[in-house]
Amino acid sequence: MKIRPYLYTLIFLVVAVVLSIAIGSVVIPPLDLGRILIGWLDRAAFPEPLKTFAFILTGIRLPRTALVLLTGAALGGSGAAYQGLFRNPLADPYLIGVASGAGLGAVLAMSINWPYSFWGLLAVPVAAFIGALLTVFLVYTLARVGKVVPTTNLILAGVAFGSFATAVTTYLMLRSTGELHRAIAWLNGGSSQAGWEPVLAMLPFLAIGLGILMLSGHALNLLQFGDDQAQQMGLPVTQARTLILVAASMATAAAVSFSGIIGFIGLIVPHVIRLWFGADYRRLLPLSIISGAGALLLADVIARSVISPQELPVGIVTALVGAPFFLWVLRRAKNQGYW
Amino acid sequence: MFRKHLIALLIIPLLAACGSAQTTSPTVIPTQPATNTQPPATSNPAITLTDGLKRTVTLSGPAQRVVSLAPANTETLFAIGAGAQVVGRDETSDYPATALSLPTIGGYSGYNLEGIVALHPDLVLAGGINTPELVASLEQLGLTVYFLQNPTTLEEMYINLETVAKLTGHESETAALVDSLKNRVAAVDAKIKAVSNTPTIYYEIDATNPTKPYTAGPGTFVDLLIDRAGGKNIGAELSSQYPQISLEQLVVINPDIIILGDSAYGETPAKVSARPGWGTLAAVQTGQIYPFDDNLVSRPGPRLVDGLEALAKLLHPDVFK
Repeated sequence: MKIRPYLYTLIFLVVAVVLSIAIGSVVIPPLDLGRILIGWLDRAAFPEPLKTFAFILTGIRLPRTALVLLTGAALGGSGAAYQGLFRNPLADPYLIGVASGAGLGAVLAMSINWPYSFWGLLAVPVAAFIGALLTVFLVYTLARVGKVVPTTNLILAGVAFGSFATAVTTYLMLRSTGELHRAIAWLNGGSSQAGWEPVLAMLPFLAIGLGILMLSGHALNLLQFGDDQAQQMGLPVTQARTLILVAASMATAAAVSFSGIIGFIGLIVPHVIRLWFGADYRRLLPLSIISGAGALLLADVIARSVISPQELPVGIVTALVGAPFFLWVLRRAKNQGYW
Repeated sequence: MFRKHLIALLIIPLLAACGSAQTTSPTVIPTQPATNTQPPATSNPAITLTDGLKRTVTLSGPAQRVVSLAPANTETLFAIGAGAQVVGRDETSDYPATALSLPTIGGYSGYNLEGIVALHPDLVLAGGINTPELVASLEQLGLTVYFLQNPTTLEEMYINLETVAKLTGHESETAALVDSLKNRVAAVDAKIKAVSNTPTIYYEIDATNPTKPYTAGPGTFVDLLIDRAGGKNIGAELSSQYPQISLEQLVVINPDIIILGDSAYGETPAKVSARPGWGTLAAVQTGQIYPFDDNLVSRPGPRLVDGLEALAKLLHPDVFK
C-alpha cells in the first residue's frame, strides 16, 4: 500500500480543519485560540472575551466544522462510487435523483405547519431523507429490466424523474404563501440547524454508507471491465452494484438532508484524485472521502469569510472555485486519456 | 412488505440519533451578559409572552440589547422609541437612517450566528421572514429569541407594536404612537368615504419578464391598503400572494393606474411605455404610471400607515390636496 497519497490528503484535511476552526466572522486571535484550547478544562473561569470566544467555538464553529466535514466526506466518497458504478465521468452523487427527491421531500414537509418543537423541526430533514431514498428506489425499480439494471436506463430514469420532482418542487414553492423563503434557504444549503444534533443524526448513516464504500474498491475495480467480465471474475455483479448504490445513496441522502444541496464536490474531487493518484478504486474511494471533506471545509471557510459578516451559500463557492481549479488540473494532466 | 421495513430501518437510527442528542446535548455555556445589560434599577417584573411560534419567551426585565433580524422589526423598534436599545440588525434593515450605523449580522443569504452571539444580545427579535431552524439554532446557543409573527391586518400590526413595546419597556410611548397611527388611518378612511370613483390598480412587483409580470394578490398588505385607499387591486382576483399575471390579462382588464413597486430596481414610467405591447394600456396612454416606495407596503411595520397615505394621495389626489 502506498502511503504518500494518504499522507498528502490527510495533511490537506488537517489544514482545512484548522482553518475552519480558526477562521470565522468573529475574529479570534490565534493567541486566544491557543489559550482557550490549553485552558479548556476550566473554561468556566475564562475572563471576557475568552469566554465568548470559547462559547462560539464549542457552540457554533466546531459543530459546523464537523457537519461540513461529514457532508464533504459523503459527497466525495459517493461521487467516486457513482462514477465507478456508472463508468461515467459525468456521474455525481445526485445523478439518479437524491437531490431532487430530497428537495421535494423537504418542500412537502414545509408546506405543513408543524408545531415549533424538537420533532416539528426534525420533520424537514426526515422528509428530505425519505424523499431522497424513495426517489433512488423508484428510479432503480423503473430502470430495471428483468433481473438486470442497465446503466443507461438508470441514468435516463434518474434524469427524467429528477426533472419531474424538481418541477413539482418549483410548483409547490410558487403556490406556497409563506414558506418560499424557507424553501429557498433550504435548497441553497443555508438553513441547517446549528449544534451537534445534525452531526449525530447523520453519523450512523455515513458510518454505514461510507464503511461499505471503503470495502467496495475491489468490486468497483472489477466492474470497470464491464459487467460480463466482472461476473466471470467471480463478482456477483447485480448484488454488488445494488449494495454500492444503496450505500452511496444513503450517505448522500443523510448529508443532503441536513446540509442542503451542494454541487460540484462529488463530481470534481474524485476526478482530481484519479488524475493525481491513479484510478485504483481501493485507493480512490478513501482518498476521495478524505479530500471531499477537506475541499468542502475550505469552500465553507471561503463562503463565510469572503463577504463577511454575510455568508455566501457554500454551493456557489464550490462551483466558483472548484470549476477553474478542476480545469487547471485537467489541463496539466499529462495522460489526457486518463479515464 | 420488505421494502417498507427497510425504510423504517433506515429512519429509526436517524430519529434515535436525534432523540439521544437531545438528552445528551453538549453543555451550553450561557453567554455572559455584557456589563451594561442590567435593566434599570426600578423594579421590573419578569416579562413572559407567547410568540408567533407558540413559544413561551421570558425576559427578566425590558430588553436592553436587541438584535433585529428583519427590517420591519428594526422599523418597529425605532418607531416605538427603543432604537437606542438595538445593537445589531440584518443587512436589509435600512430604515431609519440611524439604523444603518449598527453592525449587521447577515441576512437572507445566511445569518451570522457568531456575530449575533458576539453582540451579547438579551433579546433577538426574529420576524416572519426567518426560519424556525434559525430560531432553534439561536435558542440552542442560549439566546432569548422572540418570533414576531407577520401581521395580516393593521390591527395585528398595532398589536405587534405593543408586543415589542412590552419586550423593550416602551409601553406608554407606544400607546401614543398607536393612537396617532389609528387617527391617521381614520383620517384617510373619512376622506375616502367621500369619493365616488374606485380606480382599478395594477401594482407591479417585478417585470423582469414584461409579458408576465409579478403583482400582489390577496392576503398581502398591498392588496389590503389599495382597497383601503379607495382603489381596486386587480391582483385581488388571482389565487396566490405574489402571482404572475399575463400581459394578455392585463390588456383585457385595462387598469386605470399602474403603480411601480419595482421602481427601486430601475423601472420608470418611460420604460413601461416602451415595453412591447404595453402601449395599448389606457394607463400608459394617459400617463397614469407612478413610481412607488415598495418598502412602505411590503414591510409589515408601522410605516404601513405611511404607505396607506401615499397610496390614497396617489389614487385620489383631488381629496388629498
